[in-house]
Amino acid sequence: MWETIIIQPMTTLLLWIYDALGHGPHMFGLAIILFTILIKVITWPLNASQVKGAQAMQELQNDKEWQDIQKKYAKDREKLAQEQMRIYKERGINPFASCLPTLVQFPIIIGLYQSITRALSITPFDMLKLARTIYPFQNVEGIIPLNSTFLWMDLGRPESIQILGFGLPTLAIIVALTTYVQSKLTMPASSNPNDQSAQMTKMMSIYMPLMLGWFALNFASGIAVYFIISNLLGIVQYAATGRANWSNLFGGSKQPSSKK
Amino acid sequence: MNTKRLILVSLLAFGALLLSACGGGQGVSNNWHGLAADAERAYVSNGTFVQAVDLETGREVWRYPAEADSKLMFYATPVLTPDGQLLIGSAGTKHPFVSLNPETGKEMWAESFTQNKGAWLASPLVLNDEIYAPNTDGFLYVIDMNGKQAADPIEIGGALWSAPVTDGNLIYVASLDHHLHIIDPASGTTTENIDLGGAVPSSPAIAAGGVYAGSFASTVEFIKNDGSHEVIAKTGDWIWGSPVLNNDALYYADLGGNIHSLDLASGNQNWNDLKPDGPIVAGLILVNDQIYVATEAGTLVAMDRDGKIVWEKTVGGRFYTTPVFAGDLILVAPYQADFVLAAYDVDGKQAWTFTPEK
Repeated sequence: MWETIIIQPMTTLLLWIYDALGHGPHMFGLAIILFTILIKVITWPLNASQVKGAQAMQELQNDKEWQDIQKKYAKDREKLAQEQMRIYKERGINPFASCLPTLVQFPIIIGLYQSITRALSITPFDMLKLARTIYPFQNVEGIIPLNSTFLWMDLGRPESIQILGFGLPTLAIIVALTTYVQSKLTMPASSNPNDQSAQMTKMMSIYMPLMLGWFALNFASGIAVYFIISNLLGIVQYAATGRANWSNLFGGSKQPSSKK
Repeated sequence: MNTKRLILVSLLAFGALLLSACGGGQGVSNNWHGLAADAERAYVSNGTFVQAVDLETGREVWRYPAEADSKLMFYATPVLTPDGQLLIGSAGTKHPFVSLNPETGKEMWAESFTQNKGAWLASPLVLNDEIYAPNTDGFLYVIDMNGKQAADPIEIGGALWSAPVTDGNLIYVASLDHHLHIIDPASGTTTENIDLGGAVPSSPAIAAGGVYAGSFASTVEFIKNDGSHEVIAKTGDWIWGSPVLNNDALYYADLGGNIHSLDLASGNQNWNDLKPDGPIVAGLILVNDQIYVATEAGTLVAMDRDGKIVWEKTVGGRFYTTPVFAGDLILVAPYQADFVLAAYDVDGKQAWTFTPEK
């Protein structure tokens, strides 16, 4: 099931893009970038709902009824949660809408990781699995094994640049930074320290950069390329819609413009 | 910790676990076994260990290393040298190339020639007291019999997954870069690079004046030692295992599960309608006019030279490792079976199986 609906189409698409690009050095990296853009286009509705959800949560923070229940049930967390859920329901707000797209990325990330390692086939066993993955209509004999070189990286291995004898994991750092920036830009401002959704979003903005940075540090650098491009596109998307919350990143009181 | 936070952290941890389960790191953590044998023992590379197994009893004689080291992984086929060494390299996150005493399993020397950049998945060739060791980094390392680098590594290009072969004068190296490389060991230079149209994962078969090689281009080619070459047969699927030459007949199999016999004199197929129960990755072996083939479905098939099945046994697991004939036994090393090694006599009767102790 996983193989049929995730791995096979992803691997096929990656190989097809790589072949279309001329299957030389650096082309698999470009294929991953184009693939990431394609994934971003496909998940555009999800991201739009993330923006919408974040906006709704932001507006809720300034709502009088919302602020009232925060004060009224400040010492009764259970009741406060019940009231918050009531308001979410009444106003059609999904408190998870802002983090759901990030979680939806997980199958894509795992699938992409497996597709990259399979496509690169650094072991006979991976190559055998690749042979099983290829659709009968695909002629890939001429392009495999793939050229895993991209810029200074081997996309099948974790990346680091040797500086004074120390391997600096530049991609992992960039992944963590861009993930942090993206999550900060999308995080709604909250004046209420007891707001659970705000706490959760804040927690996500700490955990996600760390975790994706850890992935980038330990796994094939092809996956780090995906993270970085995905994050940059996300940042551009938010910035383009004018909903990016720059105040979270740089401090100050600048709020995103309210577009409806 | 409240419920939402718990769910979130659990989801993140689950994601990390899933991705971690995919593998990772720079080493090879999963592949099939390598298998070799002499008159007394079988030698099987079994991931964390290389194990020697007594051919008479099927019992372990020794294992290397004595304790598992997760940084060392052995999948290549061990090679016995004329001066009594057993050579094998690691494909784990550490890549020493190791010489063992085949009787005791004691390490004679271990050197890292690749600065840990490439893994050892293929067996070396020993020629004129020099070891030619192919690596996944695309270099052929030249080592003397004492474990010292004898000459600069020869750059081949493309990962090397199979053992070089020699006609006594030239060395033939199959590469995943779609080429067969011919090397003059006297000068240490490549004399010919022949494009076969697809990756060549297994060793070619030596013949008079050249070699026969199958590739992922689904063709078998005859490559002369001067570099000229011609396609002599096409198959319906990738060719993974090495072809076997016997007099005027060439035997080979493909991933589609078909076994072929080609009459080299006429260029016609003797037969190609034999299709056992699964894809064939392992190479064929020929023993006393009987051909043995091990399928991915876990079946060992013995056939005569006319393509008639003499017997077949369901062994279990999956076969990717080429069987080995030693001490009147056919040895097979199934992948993901209840045992690592099994021995059959030429009539198909199981002599023993070997399951390593934890």
